[in-house]
Amino acid sequence: MNDARALEGRDHLIGAALCVGYLLLLMGTASDLAMSRDESFYVHAAKSSASWITQLVRDPSSALQQQSIDRAWRYNWEHPAWMKLSFAWSWLAQKHLGLFPNESLAFRFPGMLTAGLLLWLIYAWGAAVMRRQGAFFAALAFALMPRVFYHSHLACFDVPIAFFITLTAYTYWRALADRRWVPLTGLAFGLALATKHNSWMLPGILLIHFLWIRRDEARATRTERASIAWLPSMLLLGPLVLIGSWPWLWHDTGSRLLAYVRFHLRHVHYTYEYLGTSYFEPPLPVSVPFVMTLFTVSLTVLALSLLGVYYRRTQLRPPWLTKPNDPTGRRTDVLWLGCMLAPLLAIALPTSPIFGGTKHWITAYPFLALFAGWGFLAVIESAELWMGRRSVSWSLAALCLLPGAIETAHSHPFGLSHYTPVAGGVPGAADLGMNRQFWGFTTGSLASWISEKLPEGGSVWTCDTTHGSWAMLQRDGIIASTVRPASSMSDADLVLVHHEAHFNEVDYQAWVAFGSVQPVFVLRYDGVPVISVYENPAQKQATQAAEPDQE
Amino acid sequence: MAGARRKRSLAAWVWVLIAGLAVFELVAHPLIHAAIPSEESWEAAAAFVRARYESTDQIVAAPSWADPIVRNLLGDLLSLRMAAPGDPAGIGRLWEVGIRGAGTRDEPPALEADFDEVRVRMWPLSNDALLYDFVDEIANAEVELLGADGSKVCPWVKAPSARGGLGHGPMTPPERFVCDSRRPWFWVGATILSDLELRPKRCIWQHPAGTDPVRVTFADAVLGDRLLVHGGIDYQAERQRIHAPVSLRVWIDDQLVGELVHRDGDGWSGLEIDTSELGVERARVRFETTADDPSARLFCWSASSVKGQRPVDGAKRRLSGGLDE
Repeated sequence: MNDARALEGRDHLIGAALCVGYLLLLMGTASDLAMSRDESFYVHAAKSSASWITQLVRDPSSALQQQSIDRAWRYNWEHPAWMKLSFAWSWLAQKHLGLFPNESLAFRFPGMLTAGLLLWLIYAWGAAVMRRQGAFFAALAFALMPRVFYHSHLACFDVPIAFFITLTAYTYWRALADRRWVPLTGLAFGLALATKHNSWMLPGILLIHFLWIRRDEARATRTERASIAWLPSMLLLGPLVLIGSWPWLWHDTGSRLLAYVRFHLRHVHYTYEYLGTSYFEPPLPVSVPFVMTLFTVSLTVLALSLLGVYYRRTQLRPPWLTKPNDPTGRRTDVLWLGCMLAPLLAIALPTSPIFGGTKHWITAYPFLALFAGWGFLAVIESAELWMGRRSVSWSLAALCLLPGAIETAHSHPFGLSHYTPVAGGVPGAADLGMNRQFWGFTTGSLASWISEKLPEGGSVWTCDTTHGSWAMLQRDGIIASTVRPASSMSDADLVLVHHEAHFNEVDYQAWVAFGSVQPVFVLRYDGVPVISVYENPAQKQATQAAEPDQE
Repeated sequence: MAGARRKRSLAAWVWVLIAGLAVFELVAHPLIHAAIPSEESWEAAAAFVRARYESTDQIVAAPSWADPIVRNLLGDLLSLRMAAPGDPAGIGRLWEVGIRGAGTRDEPPALEADFDEVRVRMWPLSNDALLYDFVDEIANAEVELLGADGSKVCPWVKAPSARGGLGHGPMTPPERFVCDSRRPWFWVGATILSDLELRPKRCIWQHPAGTDPVRVTFADAVLGDRLLVHGGIDYQAERQRIHAPVSLRVWIDDQLVGELVHRDGDGWSGLEIDTSELGVERARVRFETTADDPSARLFCWSASSVKGQRPVDGAKRRLSGGLDE
């Protein structure tokens, strides 16, 4: 099947430039973000893995005993090991070589790298099937999604799984035309499995796509058929990579695998505010992933994506419309559409656990961006047809990417609190009763205020920011080591309350603890409260006593 | 020829639509920012309210998400009762500090002032005069757990508060009646509940212990025309709607005068008890909580003796969760 253009050296040069440029941008802006709640858990797990790696180098036989493995890998057993191992290696490199300016960046670097590589991959895949401008546009459209930009900074699994799922889909697509890609498909799927459970839906998507093209070929009476060799490769290499990279599964493999699967199928429900209602049990409204996408991705990019789907509609025709001797191909657009819709639909299912955050369907966005690339090319063609000249493409690209770029720049460092103009911006989303934030990462925006408030040190009740995240702020030198996290509100000098609807109870707890409803400071983003800070009356009195008489 | 023209026209529309969307986003961004109230507007509005504030005034924000900003500026004026009223008794005027055209009431205000993007409005309210707030008086009450083998008195103690945090429920106050230190929920005291609608309600925590009543007695409570009694359960327990009802019985001088049965889903709700014909100004008032199954019954109530002209249909009237009954 020769329905794609061979990539040239300059394609990879452009891809590499996108990768490196994005990586540098992420590295340069990471210190504005306190470690999120989940990052702090993964950092803990990565340190545990790093200790085990060190033990493995020094004393392999002891490290391979179940007791050692269990000790190192029991923590955060519910997530596979690949990215945690990457964080661990990066941290070990930091410890021994001091590669990064601070510790948090060492943990975050592998995730950032996958974000950069994902841009490269989006460009490369796009450039293989469409004009380069479209591919370039697609990569930038993805990079300039505010929530993608936020998640790309993190030592988490969401952007990495978006990369590995896209990589698996790409290698599968390559394998349909070139059998040399078959083992790479299995390997990529293994890495996806070893990154996050979103990968479980991949074989289903690929199988539907494969049956689609096989039916297509049958209807077209082609004698040469696409090979299904990718499937055994995925089914064989996938689990091998998953288990091979995850020492926790090296003992009691069956029961631990079962527990892992069961954990995610019976996942706890997060409380998530959507259009004024705090959902805490299924079903979450079917509209959630679609409305959240509408409210958090540039409208221009979304419109281009829809236009792209329309523009490629002939390639999306169902196989039963194929006639004998019709040309057939890999139906790239069908594959992209499946990869785009499946994550959105999975969250929209009434039986899905309550998640809500865009990160849970972020794997759809590379494909959304690729269709935006097609849409962009459609508009260029329109412009050329209308204006009769070819010079409009770059200015049009700039115009279409500018809203995303401005919104992304403005979203930092409040990424999860950001909403686009379609929602009325951040205040409009607050009016609509949309989720304000989660994970407690916005504490990073309070660091300088806290340092100024407690110059001699003190204690802070950190609300949704974990003590691990706080410790990282201290190790990074952003918060003084003398400002310690307090375990009890009433013992703290300062109490933070991260504003989410269901965190109101924490606000009220602070009122009772300090006998006052007056926060001493309210961190706002576009005029919307993000964190309230309460001051212990005892600390307040001490501060006032220490201040010189003003009269 | 016509086909080519139609194609060119369609192409123009596509181009204009996409470029138009981009321009919309680019223009909307600064417009949204321009509508954000300045610090000066907030401060001027707060100064206006502060200059006219009286101790029986309540201050609210519109929309409600702006509440932390309003409390940051004016929170020192607000008592816990005024910030988290269990009932509307004693509230003489309502100040609303609003932005974005949001409002809490439809009636025309008695006073309105604009400070650029911030609007201040005030309404005089005809609420009942508050004679006695049982939540305020909890330290003067007696608490006991009744059982088959008599009653066990719960002492008033200073004790460490809970740590606080999501899912921990209402905060334990630093001073409270402790009935059983081995059961951390078994205390009685003033706190603030997050009700089913996540609104704050200042109230007396009185978790039922089962079918044996937990009793709180106010030996010399002031009575007026009516007794307003409200109760609710912490939102996390109530929203599951699976737990047993809670009964709050009210006794005046050993006479049962009302019973509030709270079922999951009721939210913050209550009773109004006519006390105008009892012929006493002071009485011994008891509140007893029971539940067939006390699991997750994080029950909290408030009561106010009020003097007012409102007619009462019968001795008792069920009240909804709102405060403008």
